[in-house]
Amino acid sequence: MKKPNPDPEKADRRRNGSAELLGPNSEIGRKLKQYYDGLVSEEIPDRFAQLLRQLEQTEPAEKKG
Amino acid sequence: MAVSPEFKQDLLGTIPNLRAFAVSLTQNADKADDLVQETLVKAWDKHESFQMGTNLKAWLFTILRNEFYSQMRKRGREVQDSDGIMTERLAVHPSQHGLLDLKDFRGALEQLPEDQREAIILIGASGFSYEEAAEICGCAVGTIKSRVSRARNRLQEILKISGEADYGPDSISAQVMGSSAA
Repeated sequence: MKKPNPDPEKADRRRNGSAELLGPNSEIGRKLKQYYDGLVSEEIPDRFAQLLRQLEQTEPAEKKG
Repeated sequence: MAVSPEFKQDLLGTIPNLRAFAVSLTQNADKADDLVQETLVKAWDKHESFQMGTNLKAWLFTILRNEFYSQMRKRGREVQDSDGIMTERLAVHPSQHGLLDLKDFRGALEQLPEDQREAIILIGASGFSYEEAAEICGCAVGTIKSRVSRARNRLQEILKISGEADYGPDSISAQVMGSSAA
C-alpha cells in the first residue's frame, strides 16, 4: 500500500547532480558563460609578463645562498 | 630546481582564466589583478610542489582562492554565510524584451554570497568538474552541488526567471536519471 510519492526534495537533489543544471538550455548557464568569457578575453595587463620576467631573473641569485 | 620554461609558459597561458576567476570573486578589477599577482608569486615559489602532468589550472585556482580568503580575513571581513542573506531586497526588473541584460546579470552575481558565487563560476563557467571544484574549495562534492543549485535558484529569483528546470531537457534528463537511480 505504500506507494512512494515522488519526493520533490529528492528530485531536486537529482537535478543538482546533472550537468544540465547550467547547460545550454539554461539562461543562467548561458549568461554565466557570456559573463565569464568576456572576462577571459580581456586584454592582459603587461604587469604579469613583467612580473614573471622579474621572478625569472631573481631566481639564480637566490640559489647561491 | 629552477622553474622550467614550460611551467612559465603554462603560467602565462592561465592568466586570462585566473583574472576571470579573480574578478568573479572580488568584483573589482584592481583587486583582481593584485590577487592574480600574488597568486603568480606564490605559484612561482611553490612550483616544486606542483606535479607535472596534473591540472595546473586547478592548482593555480586553489592558490588564488586561498589567497582571496586569507586577504579577506586579514581585512577583518567576515566571510559571508549563504544562509544569512536576504533576497527580497535584491530583485532586479527584467528588461523590456525579457532578455537578460549582462549588466543585470553581473549585478545579480554580485549579490550572491562568496561560496555560492565561486561554486557556480567554477562549475558553470571555468569548466571544472564537481570533483575538481570540491578540491579547489576544500569541501565535499555534495557541498559544491548544493551551492551551485542554491546559486542558480537565487540568480533566478533575483532576475525573475521562473523555473527553467521544470520543462525541456532538464526535467527529462532528471527523470531519466531518477528512474535509473531509484
